[in-house]
Amino acid sequence: MSHAITVKGLSVSYERKVVLSNIYLDIEQGFLYGIIGPNGAGKSTLFKALLGLIQPNSGEILIEGSSIKSKRKKVVYVPQKSDVDWTFPATVLDVVLMGRYPHKKLFQQLDQHDQAMARAALQEMGIENLASRQIGELSGGQQQRVFLARAICQQADIFLLDEPFVGVDMTTEEKIIQLLKKLAAEGKTLLVVHHDLSSVREYFDKIILLNQRLIAYGDTDQTFSEENVAQTYGGQLPILHQTGMIS
Amino acid sequence: MSELLEILQQEWAIRALIASSLVGVMCGVLGCFIVLRNMSLVGDALAHAILPGVVFAFVLVGYSALGFFTGAVIAGLLTALGITWIQHNVGTKNDAAIGIVFTAMFSIGVMGISYISRNEGVHLDLKDFLFGNVLGVANSDLYLTTGITIYVVVSVIVFYRYLFVSTFQPVIAETMGIPVQLIHYFLMLLLSFAVVASLQTVGVILVVAMLITPASTALLLSQRLPSVIILSAIIGLFSAVLGLVFAIVLETTPGPAMAVTATLFYALAVFFAPEKGLVFRYLRKRQLKARIKLEDGLKQAYRLEQQGSLTIESLAEKLGTTASSLQKILQLLRTKGLIEKGNLKLTSIGVGEAEKLVRAHRLWETYLVNKIGLNNEQIHEEAERFEHLLPEALLDAVDQELGFPSTDPHGSPIPAKAGEPSFPLIRLANQEVGKIAEHQSGQYVSAQLWRMGLLPGADFKVMEKSLEQVQLKVGEKEVKLPVSLARLVNVENTKN
Repeated sequence: MSHAITVKGLSVSYERKVVLSNIYLDIEQGFLYGIIGPNGAGKSTLFKALLGLIQPNSGEILIEGSSIKSKRKKVVYVPQKSDVDWTFPATVLDVVLMGRYPHKKLFQQLDQHDQAMARAALQEMGIENLASRQIGELSGGQQQRVFLARAICQQADIFLLDEPFVGVDMTTEEKIIQLLKKLAAEGKTLLVVHHDLSSVREYFDKIILLNQRLIAYGDTDQTFSEENVAQTYGGQLPILHQTGMIS
Repeated sequence: MSELLEILQQEWAIRALIASSLVGVMCGVLGCFIVLRNMSLVGDALAHAILPGVVFAFVLVGYSALGFFTGAVIAGLLTALGITWIQHNVGTKNDAAIGIVFTAMFSIGVMGISYISRNEGVHLDLKDFLFGNVLGVANSDLYLTTGITIYVVVSVIVFYRYLFVSTFQPVIAETMGIPVQLIHYFLMLLLSFAVVASLQTVGVILVVAMLITPASTALLLSQRLPSVIILSAIIGLFSAVLGLVFAIVLETTPGPAMAVTATLFYALAVFFAPEKGLVFRYLRKRQLKARIKLEDGLKQAYRLEQQGSLTIESLAEKLGTTASSLQKILQLLRTKGLIEKGNLKLTSIGVGEAEKLVRAHRLWETYLVNKIGLNNEQIHEEAERFEHLLPEALLDAVDQELGFPSTDPHGSPIPAKAGEPSFPLIRLANQEVGKIAEHQSGQYVSAQLWRMGLLPGADFKVMEKSLEQVQLKVGEKEVKLPVSLARLVNVENTKN
């Protein structure tokens, strides 16, 4: 079994505050991973480190055995919806075509093939009729689909998704999870930051429980235990019990 | 007019026209990125801050376009670096850091100019730097401006994808390996180029107007970056040229005239832009209001007609309008064929439309009570508003989500969707009994029912309803119908 991502002794701190401490992870290729942890657990920081956007204080990250710099094309990041400027003058097609940019050299133009790939990605997400809409005119679910279409269009091997289910309708949530499972079945590796504990078992093959340090990771069946979740969320567990998020 | 044409044929006027056009286009193109990156203040700052560079160059090499250019670019980049350094290393707020640096640089420049222009024989006028002196453009200035404009436009075309992604989503750009920070400084460099080139035309104080006003105008007019850039270039061009002509005609300063012209275009767009303009937004609002009034009229007429008390007086009272404005509403309803001509009676189309509204109203009320948890008193007003706004597809989804209810929270019946039976099987709850009606809405439905052994007049009981299917008991036999069919089957509710 090959490792899509290997993290060895990763530590990150901002100013003097430790955000991630001594993380070791072997992410196996072809699985759908949920990353679970409370706010401030370092989930986004882990993504940033994987994407090579921040310099870790110590530790090493290998993407398919080499550094991120040579593997940028292979890794695609789907940001939180709230991180996007929806008033920007760009259409759905413009955004999806961004997925082709990493495949192009400076003076190379986008061609028919790129257009066709973008159309296919739109179709896959069921939003081909929205291609010429400005992105701000879409509903929350449609917006999320646009960014997934962009990710598909990039033909990456590794997908990092930051809370893709926030602010989307039920139909879109179902569509997204179907797509993610399909991509995993095709051999893609997917890491998903996720908040809703009630759907963890249903959605993810494997989970990573994170709270500044790695609490546990592995197959959801064994890893998603009350004990592990309790450790991840610390004192917040009683609330989770009351709201019925975990049983 | 002929006098103006004569003036415009003078060599100095032609040079001024060319210089203004170039500056208009260049600032228009570059301005789009400045505006979209929220760098308007930085642009303004950079424009002011080049002044000491120009003065220093003058002291070193005298009056030379290339000298000014070099000095200005160095001063511009030093300012950009200085601002960024303060932002990253000192705790001062961003805009304050910008303000501190550019006012200091500008002041040094102004002091320098007034100091050296005290010397005999120095022709350096502070006013020319502040507001431009387009009528004094020399050939060497023109070459420089042309070169810079071409460089800026070509750069934007070549690096378009990089500029687009790093402006729209800097983080994504970084994950693609695009050097976002480098592009930021490159834009600063282009910006200082543009400012130097604009020095003669509009001057350092007003160059920001040429950068942000045409771009902001274009952003009101288009939804795609490539067309925004082209539009902005065109608007910039017209602002500069028309501004120059106005200035010549009115014998006033060209720079401010260009800025004012650009602002006029902006004002026009604010009011008349097709999508985002205030006028059209107002008109759309009025249209909606008129439609709501009409729909309310139709709905009340339908209700009164059902109660058998539809008269002009009762309708006017229900709607709370005067007789004359009611006549207007009725006239409109008649032209739309919703009310019979010459008769106060709804046409079949009118009844259909009214039932759509009633369905929307009651479904929405049911939704607010069952799903949102509001109580019966709170919901009517909400539904009054939303019945006009909810598209039918959404209502169908609400209908399904609610499990196809037959009555609203007040107990009033919810009309069926147009083209569907008045009492579809799907409305029956678990354990309720019913009878397959004689009349079905189409052959397809009858054929399906026949195939399942459900003949007209057959009594049945609903055993179990799920999201996909309905299970019935007919005599001793169990039959499963898909929900899509259960919505189309007309039944009589025999209520035990």
